[in-house]
Amino acid sequence: MKSYDLITPEGTRDLLYEECIARRNAEETLRGIFLAHGYSEVITPALEFYDVFNNKTRNIRQESMYKLTDEKGRLMALRPDSTLPIARIAATRLKGCALPLKLFYTQNIYRSNPKMSGRDDEITQSGIEIIGGERRRSDLEALCLAAQALDMFDSSEVRLEIGDNGFYKFLIKQLQIEDDEAIRVLIKNKNTPELKVLLEEYSGGEKEPAAKMLLGLPALFGAGEVFDKAEELFAFPELKERLAGLKQTYDALCELEKGERITVDLGLVNKADYYTGIIFRGYIEEYGQAVISGGRYDTLIGSFGGEELPAVGFAANINAIAAAQSNRVAVKKPDVLVYAKDGRLTDGIRRCRELAKSGVTAEFFDGEDINAAGQYAKERGIPRIETV
Amino acid sequence: MKDSKKIRIALTKGRLEKDTVGLFEKAGYDVEQLKNKGRRLILSIPGTDIEVVLAKAADVITYVEHGVCDMGVVGKDTIDEHSGSFFEVCDLGFGRCRFALAGKKGENFYEGIGVKTIATKYPNVTRRFFESKGMDVDIVKIEGSVELAPLLGLSHGIVDIVETGTTLKENGLEVYEDVSFISARVIVNPVSMKLKKAAIEKLVEKMEHYKGE
Repeated sequence: MKSYDLITPEGTRDLLYEECIARRNAEETLRGIFLAHGYSEVITPALEFYDVFNNKTRNIRQESMYKLTDEKGRLMALRPDSTLPIARIAATRLKGCALPLKLFYTQNIYRSNPKMSGRDDEITQSGIEIIGGERRRSDLEALCLAAQALDMFDSSEVRLEIGDNGFYKFLIKQLQIEDDEAIRVLIKNKNTPELKVLLEEYSGGEKEPAAKMLLGLPALFGAGEVFDKAEELFAFPELKERLAGLKQTYDALCELEKGERITVDLGLVNKADYYTGIIFRGYIEEYGQAVISGGRYDTLIGSFGGEELPAVGFAANINAIAAAQSNRVAVKKPDVLVYAKDGRLTDGIRRCRELAKSGVTAEFFDGEDINAAGQYAKERGIPRIETV
Repeated sequence: MKDSKKIRIALTKGRLEKDTVGLFEKAGYDVEQLKNKGRRLILSIPGTDIEVVLAKAADVITYVEHGVCDMGVVGKDTIDEHSGSFFEVCDLGFGRCRFALAGKKGENFYEGIGVKTIATKYPNVTRRFFESKGMDVDIVKIEGSVELAPLLGLSHGIVDIVETGTTLKENGLEVYEDVSFISARVIVNPVSMKLKKAAIEKLVEKMEHYKGE
């Protein structure tokens, strides 16, 4: 039988030395930001019941989940997302606690990607959830934290983009479309030519205005001028009101952060349709996908049987942050190599411990003679040998 | 590392490449390098920030998805077979053909209750097509001339790209049903679209304008 004992599964990797340092730096920096803003950390199991992720309102594709069974034959999944388990916690163990809940996490998610696509199946995410806060305030707070997280990317081109899938959902409702998946995908892909063909059936009818607005969504992205264009396009008062709300958040965000980094895309329609309002993404030039992604999910906690609580959150892709920084960090070399002569073994270990306690990085030499210690120190780049 | 000002566009080698270069020429770009490319795979258009990469169809999608190319020109057939996450912003109108279900002339494909076997170079397109009909089929992946499969008795039908239908006719086959229509599309990496909006939109507009009908 073929043995696979020399390689890791596709989409996973071993991290060595600088890669680990870059990873931990990214995690700790974000963790510091979240802690400093009063967030509390949670860790959820990597292994959960499949049902947590599979429900009409928690639309995670079953093909993308790693699944296994427990001893009773129940279906389990390696968590493909951290927001869903946290919503579960909010609806159960944290039920009745003072609101808002401000939680953060740093943990891995697992997604089964098409093979040979060069994508990570194991991604470390660090993110926050604000549960039970006033909507506009929570949205702005979450966005500002996302902007801070984005600042960690030392990239020349950085964008934080906000949108709101409420426009889309409202228009789909107006058109009374039951199965909107085809339309959603076309809008997501900004495929206006095909969208036009698909919406042709409404032309001339009473639903034509709504269809026209839907057709306009993919092009509504860019800087602040998008709001003027949208104001022109949207004829329904509900949409105008929603737009005004988003504009307020946008203006506040531009005031707080570097305004040229903030953009809008009203055609953002995520697959995870637990989002019910504002949606946002962070982009950097060096990475072909969004490195931050988040949004508002006001019905998710209710779907776990709890009280309906408004909530907003985001996750940052630590793998991407770390990859962007790994050539800028270096492994710290020990300051001193401690060599113990024959018969002085315990003294050697003791000396090593003393040094380490005093803040000197001291490595104990495990070889037998002083010449080997010299050779080893040279190879490792350790500047000093102390013989005990 | 990519130059942040450059727009890198991947073209599908062959006919789509020729048509796109023709379009660039009509748009007034200097396409001298593109026409006399020799064996080079990365070319530039003098006087612009556009860099052209030549790749196989499926690779155009891969490069664009990963963001190492900002945009690409690729057939809808490849998009349908490989899918992926990118913006599909423009139908260039050339490279028109269709996916069709075909088989031996005069036979009724849907007759009988047995599971049908379909030979194809496009298993994903085929699977989706029959899934939408609620039909269970066995799919056999073929690399070369798919028309052979029903003739040799390997399959009941084929799903393949049909342009004029001449190959089918000459081999005693006929189209039973159209599956979907194909033409060349402009695809864009979502992050590039956001970071280089003005430059990409300008190029897409130009392509849209000169594509003709």
